Amino acid sequence: MTDLLQHLLLGFGVALSPMNILLCLIGAVVGTLIGVLPGIGPLATIAMLLPITFGLPPVGALIMLAGIYYGAQYGGSTTSILVNIPGEASSVVTCLDGHQMARQGRAGPALSIAAIGSFFAGCVSTVLVAALGAPLTAAALLFGPAEYFSLMVLGLVFAVVLAKGSVLKAVAVIIMGLLMSMVGSDIETGQSRMAFDIPELSDGIGFVVVAMGVFGFAEIMRNLEQTSTRSIVNAKLTGLMPTWPDLKAAAGAVGRGTLLGSLLGILPGGGAVIAAFAAYTFEKKMARDPSRFGRGAIEGVAAPESANNAAAQTSFIPLLTLGIPPNAVMALMVGAMTIHGIVPGPQVMTKQPELFWGMIASMWLGNLMLVIINLPMVGVWVWLLRVPYRLLFPAIIIFCAIGVYSLNNSPFDTVMTALFGVIGYWLVKHDFEPAPMLLGFVLGPLMEENLRRAMLIARGDPSTFVTRPISGVLIALAAILLLVAILPMIRSKRDEVFVESEG
Amino acid sequence: MSDGVHASPESSHGGLKVRNPRDFWGGSALILLGLFAVWASRDLPGMHGFAFGPGTAPRMFAFLLIALGVGVMLVGYFTDGPAVERYEIVAPTLISLSYMFVVSGQSATPKVVAAILALAGIVFAVIGLMGPRRNLVRGPLFISISIIIFAVTVRPLGLVIASYLSCVAVSAATTEVRWLETIIWSAVLTAFCVFLFPIALNLPFQLWPTNLSWASLLSFR
Repeated sequence: MTDLLQHLLLGFGVALSPMNILLCLIGAVVGTLIGVLPGIGPLATIAMLLPITFGLPPVGALIMLAGIYYGAQYGGSTTSILVNIPGEASSVVTCLDGHQMARQGRAGPALSIAAIGSFFAGCVSTVLVAALGAPLTAAALLFGPAEYFSLMVLGLVFAVVLAKGSVLKAVAVIIMGLLMSMVGSDIETGQSRMAFDIPELSDGIGFVVVAMGVFGFAEIMRNLEQTSTRSIVNAKLTGLMPTWPDLKAAAGAVGRGTLLGSLLGILPGGGAVIAAFAAYTFEKKMARDPSRFGRGAIEGVAAPESANNAAAQTSFIPLLTLGIPPNAVMALMVGAMTIHGIVPGPQVMTKQPELFWGMIASMWLGNLMLVIINLPMVGVWVWLLRVPYRLLFPAIIIFCAIGVYSLNNSPFDTVMTALFGVIGYWLVKHDFEPAPMLLGFVLGPLMEENLRRAMLIARGDPSTFVTRPISGVLIALAAILLLVAILPMIRSKRDEVFVESEG
Repeated sequence: MSDGVHASPESSHGGLKVRNPRDFWGGSALILLGLFAVWASRDLPGMHGFAFGPGTAPRMFAFLLIALGVGVMLVGYFTDGPAVERYEIVAPTLISLSYMFVVSGQSATPKVVAAILALAGIVFAVIGLMGPRRNLVRGPLFISISIIIFAVTVRPLGLVIASYLSCVAVSAATTEVRWLETIIWSAVLTAFCVFLFPIALNLPFQLWPTNLSWASLLSFR
C-alpha cells in the first residue's frame, strides 16, 4: 500500500510539472472538441496528432494522447444529449435517454450527470490502473512466447465475440488485418515480403495509414452521403446541477456502469463503445420499470457515460503491463510509444516508472479538468456544433493529409491512406467491421514473432500451446468464447446489444 | 478493394440471383484478396525443418482468408440479407492504384499500367459525375483526388499551394459546396496549417516552390 502511495506520489510529481499540466489540458480540450463534433473520432485524431508529438518528451506526448481518448468520452455525451447525434461512437446509447431528457427541459441535469458519472468512473479506474499495474506486470514476467501468442488469440477472439453481426465475417477481417501486417520485411531474415519493390513498403504498411484511412477518411465518405441537418435543443441551459432525487437515482447506475466499464476495458477486444452498450442494456434489465428507458431515464445517461469513461481508462492496463493493445485506440498508442522508442510491455513500469505513473496521475488530473471544461463551458461547445459539416470536413481531410505526410515525409503513404479510406468505406458497405481488422493488423507482427519463437522452442510441436498451463488456459478460454459466440441463439441477441465499434 | 464493379447492386440484377449480396460479394472480394496474397508471396521460402520461413505465415493466413471468404460467400448465397447500400468507388480506386504503379520502380511497364489505370479512372469518374448517381460518386472521388493532389504537389510546390489546392478540391466532395465560401475558407485553413505545422510545431516543411522543374513535378513524389 505504501508502495502504491509512493508510486502515485512520483506520478503526481511528473504530472504536475507545468509542461505536463499544459499537455494534459490540451489533450482534454482537443478530446472534448472531437468528442463534441460528430464525424471525427479519437482514432483519427490521435493518428493525426502523432506527428505533433515528435518534438515532445515521451511522457508529455502520451499524457496528451491519453487525454484525447478519455476527453472524447466526455465530449461525446454533449452532442448526444443536445442534438441527438452521437458525437462519438461510444455515446450512441446516450442519445436514447439523454436527448429525451433535454426535450423535457432537463438538458442541464443530463449533461451534469454525464460529467459527474464520467468523473467518478475516471477516479475509480485511475486507482484501478494503479492497483492492477504491479501484479499484472509480475504476471507478465511469467509469460513466454507461447503464452503471449495465446493471449493475443484470446484478445482477437474477444474482438470477434464483441463485434456486431456475423462471427465468420469478424474472423475474416481479423485475418485480413493479420495478412496486411505481413507486408514489409520478414522479422527474422529481413527478406522483403509482398512489397513489390516499392521502397515505402519495405518497412510495412504504416499503422497510421491504415487507421486514418479506415476510420478517418471512410467515416467522412459515409457522412457525406447524408446531408446533415442538426436540430440543437434550444432551451436555455438553466439549472445545470441535478436535483437530489436525480443524484440518488443515478448513483447506483454510475457505480454499476463504472464496474462494468472497467471490466470491459481491461478485456482485450473491448473498449469504450462496447462498455457503453453493455452498461445501458444491463441497466435496462436491472430496472424495476424498463419502460422508462428511452423516455428520459437518468440512469440511461449515467450508466453508459460512466462505463465508456471507465473503459477508456482501464484499457490502458493491458497495454502498459502486457504490451498488448486491447483495442484500436490503444493500438495507436503503441504506435505513439514506438515513435518515442518505448517498447510497450512489462518493462515500461520497471524501467520507466515516471512514464507509467506520470500517465496514471495525469488521468486523474485530466478528469478533473474535463469536468470544468465540459460543465461551465458547455455553451462554447454548443456554439461549435453550429459549424456546418461542409466547412468541417475539408479541415479534417487536410489535417489528416498533412499529418500522414509528415510522419515519414512520404507522399506514397498519403495516397495509401486515401486508398485505405476507400477500402474502409467498402468494408462498411458490406457489413465488415473495421475495428477488428485494425486490431489484427497491429497484433500481426507480435503474433507472428511469438508464434515462430514458440514453435522453435517447442521444436515444431504445435501442442506446446495447449500443454503449457497458462497458455492452455488462455486457449481453452478462447475456444469456449468462440463456441459461445457461434451458438446462434446468443448471436441473435448480440446484434441488439452491440452496434458500431470504434474502440 | 478490387471489385467495386461487381459489388454494385446493379450487377446482381443480371443472370445470378444472390439472396444476400453484402455477404456474397464481400466474401468473393476476400477470396480475391487471399489469392492475390498467395500470388504475392509465391517466391518466399516456406518451412525449413521445424522453423518458419518468411513465407510460412503469409501463406498460412492467405489460405485461411480464402477459406473464410468461401464461407462468407456461401453464407451470402444460402441466406437472405439486405441489398448492398449503394456506393461508387471504382474511379477513386483506379486513380489511387495508378499512383502506386507510377512510383513502383523505374521500368516502363508499371508506368504504362499506371497510365491505363489513370485513364480508366478518369473515364469512370467523368461518366459517374454525369450519371444519375453523381452524388454518390463525389465523396470518395474528390477526397481521393484531393489527397493525391496534396501528395504530388507538397514537395515541388510547397505546403501553401499544396494545401490550398487540395482544400479546394476536397470541397467538391459534397453537394452543399458553395464556391465563394470555399475559396475563402481554403485560404483560412491553409493559413492555419502553415501556422500550426511548420511554425508552431516546427515540422520540416517547404512553404513555397523551390527549384521547380518538370522533372520534380513529374516524379510524382
